Amino acid sequence: MHFDPNINCPYASGTTAFGDVVLSSRARLARNLEGFPFVNSASVGDCEEVELLLAPACNCDDDFTLVWVDLHKLSKVERAMCAERHLISTNFADADNPRGVMVGPELARSIMINEEDHLRIQSIKPGLDLLNAHNDVMAMDQRMEKLVAYAFDEQLGFLTACPTNVGTGARFSVMMHLPALRITKGFRQLYNACEGMSIAIRGYHGEGSETIADLYQLSNQVTLGYNEEDLRSMLEDEFLPTVIENERNARMKIIEKYGAKLDDRVFRAQGILENATILPLDEAMDCLGRVRLGVSLERITNLEINTINQLFIDIQNGHLQWRYDGNLSEAELQEKRATLVKEKFAA
Amino acid sequence: MTTCDYCKRPAIYHDTRVSNGITKTVSLCEDHAKEAGIDIGPDGISISLTPEMMGFTFTPSISTCPDCGMALADYKEKALLGCPECYVTFKEQLIPVIANLQEKHTQHVGRSPRRASADIDRHIAIRRLLSDLERAVTQEAYEEAADIRDTLRDLHQKDDDSAL
Ligand SMILES: [Zn+2]
Ligand SMILES: [Zn+2]
Repeated sequence: MHFDPNINCPYASGTTAFGDVVLSSRARLARNLEGFPFVNSASVGDCEEVELLLAPACNCDDDFTLVWVDLHKLSKVERAMCAERHLISTNFADADNPRGVMVGPELARSIMINEEDHLRIQSIKPGLDLLNAHNDVMAMDQRMEKLVAYAFDEQLGFLTACPTNVGTGARFSVMMHLPALRITKGFRQLYNACEGMSIAIRGYHGEGSETIADLYQLSNQVTLGYNEEDLRSMLEDEFLPTVIENERNARMKIIEKYGAKLDDRVFRAQGILENATILPLDEAMDCLGRVRLGVSLERITNLEINTINQLFIDIQNGHLQWRYDGNLSEAELQEKRATLVKEKFAA
Repeated sequence: MTTCDYCKRPAIYHDTRVSNGITKTVSLCEDHAKEAGIDIGPDGISISLTPEMMGFTFTPSISTCPDCGMALADYKEKALLGCPECYVTFKEQLIPVIANLQEKHTQHVGRSPRRASADIDRHIAIRRLLSDLERAVTQEAYEEAADIRDTLRDLHQKDDDSAL
């Protein structure tokens, strides 16, 4: 396969805007082809025809390249890796209809073909950068539009399998690290503010997932009645700056008031990561989250925040299986995870 | 898989009989079979026939999407629509659902697709007609089928003209 997970994770390149609080920004457009049933009621033949119609987008390198990856030709480990990088959804990794993903070489752009909608066009940028993620998806959208007619209604906009995406089909989301807000009383306030602005707040793995390592995904809930640019701006320019500021203030407050307690949490976590020989995924994620807070507050100075961001991905099961080239059992995965974390912390 | 004569969902009821030397088959999905008054047993097998069925005339009232055969009950179950045409078929019922999901908005604002070429529109028209033709043939609506074939021929003709 053309997909090389050694290429640096999109979350971890250089210094990024608001990188202390925001890991990454993602824009996504849902599109469907006119004249075809949606994927949930499409036949195998329909799905294949959709793939055929869209495939030429990969042989056109004017300003960016997309490579076609057939999900049926990927191993289970490779599919898991794609999902762990958020290039594809978990459902999509495990589905069995004809489906594929077009991937940019930098592993930040992707188009899922035959997910819930015929096209799920997305781009992930490090830090807070919905603007450029949006520019990416618009460029991809334009390329696809030359090949097919999109299902569209004058009143309801772009038609999607689920009416929660109808209209613009646009979903903007950011992955945020909010440990201080969670510890302090700020979180209740954040939930209320999200509700008032129709912003969804979810765990690390998206819909219905639990909170891991104080990582949260915030995204627009409404897709109809505003244009894409307004939806992006409401989140990125109006809503998030306050959240970021509140998180930063809460971190400062914790240092002032509970410095010893904070250091204890941070350094205990560092101790576990540097010394453990068996590391379950949940524990590793949780400790990484605490260490990340320590790094951002300069309690830990010999580690880069990017190393932590990268490890959030690299310690996932699929990535570990791929790296150690194996059919590792859960027990072996926990050992390899500990080895990898130690290595990265020592570097 | 055989589909229902009145919609595109899987048929669970089949009846074949010969009258005046002509063999006719009726295939119905669960909902349409129930509506026709056929008793569906626990295994989905028909138990008795109604007089209407003997004459093979029956006008269904459960509305289904003409393109994909979805009924509104399917949406309530899956929370997903079957095809773009569903939005047209069930618009009246869907608008309140959408308003509820979308902060009361029911009018799209922003970009619309630029219809790239007439080729795409023709492609869609041909696809629609082909599926209509298939349905007409299975329902033995031969006059309708002949009309559809004529329209298809015209569309292909246009193809040739534009190639010149
Ligand atoms: Zn039916
Ligand atoms: Zn439909």
